[in-house]
Amino acid sequence: MADPHELTLDELRERIRVAGITIAEHRLAMVRKLLADALAPVRALDSRAIRPVEPAVKFVLESEGRGGE
Amino acid sequence: MSDEIAYAGIRDLGARYRKRELSPVDVTRALLARIEKLDPALHAFVTLTADRALDDARAAEAALRSGDQRPLLGIPVAHKDIYLTRGIRTTAGSALLAEWIPDEESTAVRRWREAGTVLLGKVITHEFAFGIQFPGHRFPAARNPWNLDHVPGGSSSGSGAALAAGLVTGATGSDTGGSIRGPAAFCGIVGLKPTYGRVSRAGVMTLSWTLDHTGPMARTVEDCAYLLQAMAGHDAADPASSPLPVGDYLATLRRGVGGVRIGVPRNYFFEGVDAEIQHAFHEALETLRRLGAEVRDVRIPSLHAAHSFLLILMAEAFAYHERDLRERPELYGEVLRERLLTGALVTASEYTQAQRIRAEICRETAEMLREVDVLATPTTPKPATSFAVAHDPELGFPRSNMAPFNLTGLPTLALPCGFSASGLPLSLQLSGRPFEEATVLRVGHAYERATAWHTRRPPV
Repeated sequence: MADPHELTLDELRERIRVAGITIAEHRLAMVRKLLADALAPVRALDSRAIRPVEPAVKFVLESEGRGGE
Repeated sequence: MSDEIAYAGIRDLGARYRKRELSPVDVTRALLARIEKLDPALHAFVTLTADRALDDARAAEAALRSGDQRPLLGIPVAHKDIYLTRGIRTTAGSALLAEWIPDEESTAVRRWREAGTVLLGKVITHEFAFGIQFPGHRFPAARNPWNLDHVPGGSSSGSGAALAAGLVTGATGSDTGGSIRGPAAFCGIVGLKPTYGRVSRAGVMTLSWTLDHTGPMARTVEDCAYLLQAMAGHDAADPASSPLPVGDYLATLRRGVGGVRIGVPRNYFFEGVDAEIQHAFHEALETLRRLGAEVRDVRIPSLHAAHSFLLILMAEAFAYHERDLRERPELYGEVLRERLLTGALVTASEYTQAQRIRAEICRETAEMLREVDVLATPTTPKPATSFAVAHDPELGFPRSNMAPFNLTGLPTLALPCGFSASGLPLSLQLSGRPFEEATVLRVGHAYERATAWHTRRPPV
């Protein structure tokens, strides 16, 4: 059974097609490794386990400690 | 000119200028001659600005005669070639920009100019701060003064090489995943990535908006403090610029490390680290302990996912370069082009998850920095690699000890802490709370004063 975390060559080709870009055949292995390494932590992530801690908007008053220019 | 003058620090040069033992014009002429002699082998400079440098030096000399006390007056510097310089060619290490001469300058360039520095020229950057120059590229890659067969690190490669070779006293760098600290580590110098928002990025070419930092590189911690002082501060032209007041980075530099709590994150940062780097790092911790710091182990569990930073970098870099990549792809170096195009393959969901991981890393790191004042790690797991290894296009983008601090935006310093058996520099990384550059610099300065690594010179 295929590893769900693996980025297959077929999946890579499909992503390239959807993005509408061209990547030379002899660079596909490099791109696959680059993307697969970067994706590994995300694919291993249980997205429900991370709290949404990023505020959508954050206001800082102009009067709060403005210094420099 | 003696090597001693080529490697003199900012305070020393300023004192000698004011005693009339040296003049900025003489030092500038001597450094221009040194660049002419050494740079053909190093390839640190991409554009030499000799006339401008001599004009700057004469202006500094006149100001010194009138009693001007600015500390950077007459100090020779160079700018990484992604900093826009008015009237001076700016290439970003790329064929895309051809012979572009901007009619504007970056905020950091202006601030150093207004501080009285002498601009010797522009130093090479990896192409658009992301792709190493492969053989046949428009510009040859800079070489490491400690061993010309090895890389000087990147992307601020020219800044690192020029400083290590005694060609300049200070240089600008930019750091998206370690591009200030990597060259500092590989070249045996000091580099400071300030807090995100502390130094303006206006007029500096973008690689990745949420990860890009600008900062100083020098040969000592004290020189970094002087250079940071002149470039830090709010700038309305950079949306990420912080309005918080700038501290006095020199005032607290010599206060020592008595009572400072140093945390060593034992997870993530020691995977794959060479034995001699582990040894040098632990010796550095012992030195800091001896100086009065309290050192203890800590853990930041979410760091195991830190390599997802590359999804953020590549997606944002593609967004910045998309139009040129689609219309003029042939003007990008081949490996850089594929790296940038990989950003088009990251889905919106994956980018968002990477940002959520980042938020978790930020939260855990902030919690840890309530218990300790500074985090210490090896800057890189290995010393500088050879060009033969670096030029393998299948190398990918190795996991980095520096990237976590781009994700968190924390002020982070790299400084020499030893040498490998093969004679290559090793480096200590110190990171602190947001906008506490003064603390990081103070710890680094105390370590530097207790050791002599920064006084070694490469065999150029």
